[in-house]
Amino acid sequence: MSGPIRLWVAVKHGVDVVLARADRSTGTVAMDRAPRKTSDFDRNAVEEAVRIREKLGGTVTALTVGPPTSKEALRDALALGADEAVLITDPARPDLDGRGVARALAAYARTHPGFDLWFFGEGSTDHFTGTIGPRVAAEIGAPSLSYARRVSVEDGAVLVEREYEHELEKVRAAFPAIITVGQEINQPRVPTFMSTLKASKKEIRSFGPSELGVQPSDWAPLARRDRVFVPEVNRKRQAVSGADPATTARGLVDALRREGVLP
Amino acid sequence: MSGETVLVFSEEAEAIPGLLAAARAAVGPGPGRVELAVLADGGGPAGSAVGGADRVYRLLLPENARHDPELVAVALRRAQEAANPRLTLVASTKRGRETAARLAGATDSAVSTGVASFALEPEGVRIRREVLSGNALGEEVLLGPRPIVAVMLGAPVPAVPPTTPPEIIDVPPPEGAGRIALVERTVKPAGGLRIEAAERIVSVGRGLRKKEDLSLIEELARAMGAVVGCTRPIAAEAGWLSDDHWIGLTGHRVKPRLYVAVGISGAVQHLVGMRESTVVVAINKDPNAPIFAQSDFTVTGDLYTVVPALVRALSGA
Ligand SMILES: Cc1cc2nc3c(=O)[nH]c(=O)nc-3n(C[C@H](O)[C@H](O)[C@H](O)COP(=O)(O)OP(=O)(O)OC[C@H]3O[C@@H](n4cnc5c(N)ncnc54)[C@H](O)[C@@H]3O)c2cc1C
Ligand SMILES: Nc1ncnc2c1ncn2[C@@H]1O[C@H](COP(=O)(O)O)[C@@H](O)[C@H]1O
Repeated sequence: MSGPIRLWVAVKHGVDVVLARADRSTGTVAMDRAPRKTSDFDRNAVEEAVRIREKLGGTVTALTVGPPTSKEALRDALALGADEAVLITDPARPDLDGRGVARALAAYARTHPGFDLWFFGEGSTDHFTGTIGPRVAAEIGAPSLSYARRVSVEDGAVLVEREYEHELEKVRAAFPAIITVGQEINQPRVPTFMSTLKASKKEIRSFGPSELGVQPSDWAPLARRDRVFVPEVNRKRQAVSGADPATTARGLVDALRREGVLP
Repeated sequence: MSGETVLVFSEEAEAIPGLLAAARAAVGPGPGRVELAVLADGGGPAGSAVGGADRVYRLLLPENARHDPELVAVALRRAQEAANPRLTLVASTKRGRETAARLAGATDSAVSTGVASFALEPEGVRIRREVLSGNALGEEVLLGPRPIVAVMLGAPVPAVPPTTPPEIIDVPPPEGAGRIALVERTVKPAGGLRIEAAERIVSVGRGLRKKEDLSLIEELARAMGAVVGCTRPIAAEAGWLSDDHWIGLTGHRVKPRLYVAVGISGAVQHLVGMRESTVVVAINKDPNAPIFAQSDFTVTGDLYTVVPALVRALSGA
């Protein structure tokens, strides 16, 4: 490792899954008009980077790809303790697909070399594909260490403890490396009034395709999103109640026997 | 569509029969081919003994290399080049998603994970997957050559032995060592519970006040012939139950015939894990709990009185 450690964090300004609503007549969600917020695990990613900087020094840079409104996610990251913020934006393509986002981040890394560790969320709250981090790693030829539950920095290398469905692993890689994290890794701090105020005054650097040496076709979508719709739930919603708990319980057991779902 | 090849891959032997079946259904009857790539990294000859593949590529990786998705993706890419498939299909497990992403990055192709269903169409591969944390379904068409789909599998299906031995092709190991060193791997101490396969589930949430009270829930589960499930806070925060019991977006997906939600509010990230249940019962003291809108039978009340009464009713007392 040469010099102070350079930590990057990819943050997404995604659709707010709690506030997004389907149109009543069509049952579909207009994703491009839905309210947005910072993706949940990306807060964990920022927190992890900030903790490393607090221990070892260095800088934390938050990066987002999206329309200018996605600066909100960068403001969040700054309020959580990031030092710098970078917006990658293409006026011609406000919303890129996964391929476009990964290529945009990879293009930034190629034109601004020098990260040591780059944190991503394990999955984004709205799309949850879990592909962007490892995809960027493949694009720029870096190792990807995913599903980290614990990260420790050694001299020019990183040790990650991670979790799979049936296994736990401890793995090590030299810098530079890409790491993805989920909500189990830490409890993100709550921004203070002062940190939010300071964040609102920080400069956000902005880059477009030409500054990153990208051709428009490099960002062209490979997935066409046809529609997002809310499946109908057809539940009976029958309230079971009786004069006392015993009667209620018998009523429920009888109902379930009629349905044929009790042995 | 006919005459097309689907290439199947998984790091996990138990996912392979389900993937082969899904691939076969997608190519349909006739001249379509299903080919299989398996890891030969010292983990045994998994895959070549499985029926349903017309050809098997053995990816000869260094001993125990599955911790390095870069090595796995490089090897899989070679099999992909040889098979020239219309679609590459992997399991949407954690390893599967990462391998899919690295392969997509290396070949600059479309990829989707967590896919519920897919179909080969002239224009591309049409997929359906959950979006918005399970609040909604998204339909997409993956365009361009070499698309990759990571599909969600239900309970493992048993392997069928091959009727005719498949053709076996060895894919040589990638040059050079990987960039990730494995320091340690441990298999999680699991109770061996396969909640995905359960017929009946009694599931508990933060309505439960303390760990000792789990005995109430266990008693109800026993009386119903059910297994115990839970929400994320019970497994991940309180640690009262192991991860095998955890249902939802980041836990297991279940589709029992009966799902009884006890003291569970019904957050979207939980609902997505149990939405496919045939009959849903909710027991909650809050009549406005969102779970009620997603249930067939609802009981408004304190679980500490409702559950014991249910146990008595079931035992015929
Ligand atoms: C990215 C992400 C992923 C997530 N993944 C998952 C996941 O996979 N699975 C999951 O479950 N959650 C997941 N969550 C968490 C989820 O959002 C909810 O926080 C969680 O499901 C709530 O669990 P709960 O219903 O047990 O608790 P609460 O929401 O606190 O609900 C407790 C309920 O118990 C009722 N209650 C209280 N006392 C009693 C009583 N005495 N008798 C009867 N009822 C009572 C209350 O009225 C309330 O409705 C995820 C969250 C995020 C952000
Ligand atoms: N538009 C974006 N800008 C910056 N980072 C992103 C963007 N989309 C996704 N990411 C990162 O990739 C992670 C995984 O996203 P996904 O592959 O969509 O599940 C997120 O948690 C972010 O860290």
